[in-house]
Amino acid sequence: MSAAADAVDAASPHSRPPHPGRWRSALAITLLGVALVLLSPLVGSVPIPPTEVFRIILHQLSGGAVYAQPCAGVTDSAPLCSAYVEIVWDERLPVLLLALLAGAALGISGATLQGVFRNPLADPYLLGLSSGGALGAAFVYVFRIGEAEASLVLPVLAFAGSLGAGVAILLAARGRSGSVETLLLTGVALASFLSATLTIVLLYNPTGSLQVSFWLLGGVGGATWNRDGVAFGGILIASTLLVLHGRELNVMQLGNDVAQSIGVPTARLRQRLILLASLVTAMAVAFTGVVGFVGLVAPHIVRRTVSSDYRVVLPLSAMTGGLFLLAANDLAVTVLPGTQLPVGIFTSFAGAPFFLTLLYRRRQASTMGDS
Amino acid sequence: MRAPSASGRAVAGLEGVTVRFGSRTVLHEVDLSVGAGEFVALAGPNGSGKTTLLRVLLGFIRPSAGRATLFGTPVDELPITERARRVAWVPQEEANRDNPTVREYVGYGRYPYRGRFQAESAVDRERVEESLSDLGLGDRGDDGVQTLSGGERQRAVLGRALAQDTPLILLDEPTSHLDIGHQLDILERVRTLSRRRGTTVIAALHDLNLAARFADRVVILSRGRKYDDGDPARVLSEGLLARVWGVTADLRRDPRTGVPYLLPHQRVVEGPAILAGPGFGPVHVVGGGGAGAPVLRALSDDGYRVTTGALHLLDTDAETAEVLGIPMVVEVPFAPLGAEVRSAHRRLLEQARVIVVAPFAVGPSNIANLDDLEPFVPQTPTYLLAPTPIDQRDFAGGAGARAWEALRSAGAREVDGLPALQAELRSLEARWRSAVPAAAPALPS
Amino acid sequence: MSLNPPSTGPARSISFAWFAVAVLVAAGAAVAATAAYFEIRQNHPSASATTMSLTDDVGRTVNVPVNPSRVAVLSPSIMDSMYRLGLRSHVVAVDCYSAAFGGLSADYSSDQVSLWNLSSSMCVQVGPTLNVEQLLAVSPQLVLASTIISVADVEEISTTYGIPVLILQPTTLSGIVLDVDLLGSLFHASASASLLSADLALGLGNATRVAQNLTNAGTPFPTVMVTYSPVAAGSPSPGYYSFGPGTFGTSLIELASATSISANSTLPYPELSGSAVLAARPQFIVYGTGFGLGLPDYAQGPDWSSFAAVQSGRAIGLNSNFLTEPDPTMILDGLPALLALFHPGVPV
Repeated sequence: MSAAADAVDAASPHSRPPHPGRWRSALAITLLGVALVLLSPLVGSVPIPPTEVFRIILHQLSGGAVYAQPCAGVTDSAPLCSAYVEIVWDERLPVLLLALLAGAALGISGATLQGVFRNPLADPYLLGLSSGGALGAAFVYVFRIGEAEASLVLPVLAFAGSLGAGVAILLAARGRSGSVETLLLTGVALASFLSATLTIVLLYNPTGSLQVSFWLLGGVGGATWNRDGVAFGGILIASTLLVLHGRELNVMQLGNDVAQSIGVPTARLRQRLILLASLVTAMAVAFTGVVGFVGLVAPHIVRRTVSSDYRVVLPLSAMTGGLFLLAANDLAVTVLPGTQLPVGIFTSFAGAPFFLTLLYRRRQASTMGDS
Repeated sequence: MRAPSASGRAVAGLEGVTVRFGSRTVLHEVDLSVGAGEFVALAGPNGSGKTTLLRVLLGFIRPSAGRATLFGTPVDELPITERARRVAWVPQEEANRDNPTVREYVGYGRYPYRGRFQAESAVDRERVEESLSDLGLGDRGDDGVQTLSGGERQRAVLGRALAQDTPLILLDEPTSHLDIGHQLDILERVRTLSRRRGTTVIAALHDLNLAARFADRVVILSRGRKYDDGDPARVLSEGLLARVWGVTADLRRDPRTGVPYLLPHQRVVEGPAILAGPGFGPVHVVGGGGAGAPVLRALSDDGYRVTTGALHLLDTDAETAEVLGIPMVVEVPFAPLGAEVRSAHRRLLEQARVIVVAPFAVGPSNIANLDDLEPFVPQTPTYLLAPTPIDQRDFAGGAGARAWEALRSAGAREVDGLPALQAELRSLEARWRSAVPAAAPALPS
Repeated sequence: MSLNPPSTGPARSISFAWFAVAVLVAAGAAVAATAAYFEIRQNHPSASATTMSLTDDVGRTVNVPVNPSRVAVLSPSIMDSMYRLGLRSHVVAVDCYSAAFGGLSADYSSDQVSLWNLSSSMCVQVGPTLNVEQLLAVSPQLVLASTIISVADVEEISTTYGIPVLILQPTTLSGIVLDVDLLGSLFHASASASLLSADLALGLGNATRVAQNLTNAGTPFPTVMVTYSPVAAGSPSPGYYSFGPGTFGTSLIELASATSISANSTLPYPELSGSAVLAARPQFIVYGTGFGLGLPDYAQGPDWSSFAAVQSGRAIGLNSNFLTEPDPTMILDGLPALLALFHPGVPV
């Protein structure tokens, strides 16, 4: 048997990557990402010469060993130099990292939910997670929880509201048929109920409505290293667990019954995956508000350019989502010089046409199938 | 005659299994015991409970009463991975939007053998390659499953189930949407492999003749009850079709193999009845294997009087025509069209005002249809529905493509879809009505 | 009987799942180390030698530098006080409403506004969205803001960059006076602050005295509707925004010896339907003007021409900023205007 097995294996095409073209696309996304990450610190509302930006980064990274002075061109003006250092180190870099993290969270969550629901139009906010988060955030602004605590309470309440919505749906659909349709409809109903609640709360307490409406547009401007650290921990753990379920998601695409016959406990897995996806989404919502379309678009880019294998789709959707949000944020601070627009506007601005293209193509395909 | 009793020895066992959905009883106190290596066919009309029975054995449905066991263990006591190592399933149709390679797809069957952090083992790869070569997909391993034809795709599904390496395989109408050539191919492979590996097979097959041809044992279900169970030679009787299916038939025996088959009485509706009706027609549809069904539905919805032929009994097109009350000419399953049937078919063609040829798969059993209609093309407007080119559905070794070409050169027109056909028929009708209201003129060239 | 065929090295026994975990953990470790490194290397600007501890309008106790020369003022109401206290030279950044969108030009003549020289390049906040980069670029020592600022920004500015944030958002008319005193002591401008508070106290005192006299004389207070932000024509629920309980508008109306028809509403800023206004029969209607709004915008509202106040010529326009911005202008200009309107001929 050994010899036969070896012969089979030696001839097996497994020994080589089956689709070189796919890996070229993956490599292209990676290189694009590296370039974007390197260029993003140069972009901002305040023009700082690129040489100064890199000098500041090298100075700080080396602890002053490479460049003793962080600024070259502005040494004569100490306040300006320290402002530059703050802008590059404590503003642009944490914002860059938060954009990558939140985008990754939304990307992997979108990929997971599209897989679980076997629906290419599923997105991370599908189950009322954004409405839940907005309600949590509204409590902070409306009841003017003391400013000092509020900075902690806001992400915590937004997180709790968001995750709470996801968990509530899982609990509601538990014990029933637990089918995909039941879950979706429960989510739609809950989202609607939560937004109505939010409207009532804001009607009676209008002072917070402006902040809540801006929060709903999403943004990565509030990034600090501390917040990035918390977001990183949560998103890393949940994303890692999600990435481990690529094989199950692949099999689940064959349908509930076939997946079960192959040994995939679909009902249990569905709950676990939705919970994890809600968790990463809630982490992103806690620190960035509601950023639209990233979670919808990122998995489709991966599927169309690289592979529909969920072992690849999950990690690459995280990467693509992060880069997409970073690119949108770069646009948000550069399109109108001197003005920082909410990043959610730009993700939707780029995401909406993509979504329409997708819809259009799907319709084309199904029309052909009908004839 | 009875299989081993419902002891722990049975591969699969049902004891007094009743399944109710609300107030509807789908299975009624069914007992069944399947021994190792048996090939059991479940047969019965639509809605007789075949699929439900399989789903009970798979653990998808918990019986309202009674007990289902696999290898002596109640199905619902088996952990899901254990169950997946004992029983594999081939569904009627599998919807998958993704496009894994055939090899990856077949590899999904290895899921119950791999831990979360385990790489694919040598055994895994060996089983996958074995399945691929057993099913003749060795050279398609790196192609995406979406590029496979219907027959190949069903073979890949079977390969996925074989890679699961289970002692029991359940098949639910695995061939119902394939043409006769592929139906025979799939079932032939299942029987060969089950004999070689000693795998037990339970297959729901609504075609009684296929069941008799391949199975060691036939279980007949009727309205949720077990009607009969045993050797095909004993179970198949003229009375069976009459009582269970409500069809009169003659019992024949295949002279080469001795396998019994049922030959239902032909139903041919003669001409005058058709021409008596109002409106435009008849439009005659030549179909087969399900290709004609959408055409039949669309044209009768549009109000045309429709005829069809020459089909094989129990074929999807024949069932559709039956439901729609469309007159047709039928032949027994998977036999070449006989002389009697062909002449009946020619009578229908003669009466037709328009002939439509559905994009059916052309094989040895039905190529005579194309030959028979050729003489009618010059005087009757003929449309060839060709959303897929003929060479992709020619299973008659080029004869199909030649016959198709002959039709085209005789003046038949190719249209690429149903909407285009309907538009053609409307304009044809308008031209005829404006030209000579009552008579039947030739098509203006 | 080898399970690992020679063609596939040991690396092949590592599954994709393990590989993905390893990559993620490595990336995690790298970022965590970088983050910790940044944490250490953060250089906060050293606190000013002389600081004082102040409690702001939301109850935060903040250490602020005494008489700071570089201040970001992120609210038109605070800018009003800064202007009246002569503190323009301390302001290095403002909110965009103050700078560009006419927030001040509605209160002051264009000559005065041009004296302020608030260019759009100084503006760092649109709505609640603060542009932190631009704020950092002007290196402010202190940020004065209203409650519109987002809590995350307050935390980031004060914790990460060590710039104290003082929130000035008075909730009562007397709170306006207290904030003027606070700014006076912070900027060593006690003299001008004393003068301004005296003016404000006088304005409030006069109004209270008038109310007392009218009550003593048994003169009834007129009922009024003060409306603002006209609902666009064609809106699904056209009506008149009005002041409800607990708002500056209602306090101002009461101090002007009048009763708001929506003083007992359940909502702070209720939208009254035409029939509700008809039923309440306000004796006066005051509508907010400025920002391009005027009588025609309000006259499109439901039943406008049927209102008794409109028919009797007692519907009058007044600068919106007098009615909605809690700052000295509200007391010094808004209150006398309302008194003169509701009680003509009564000496103030």
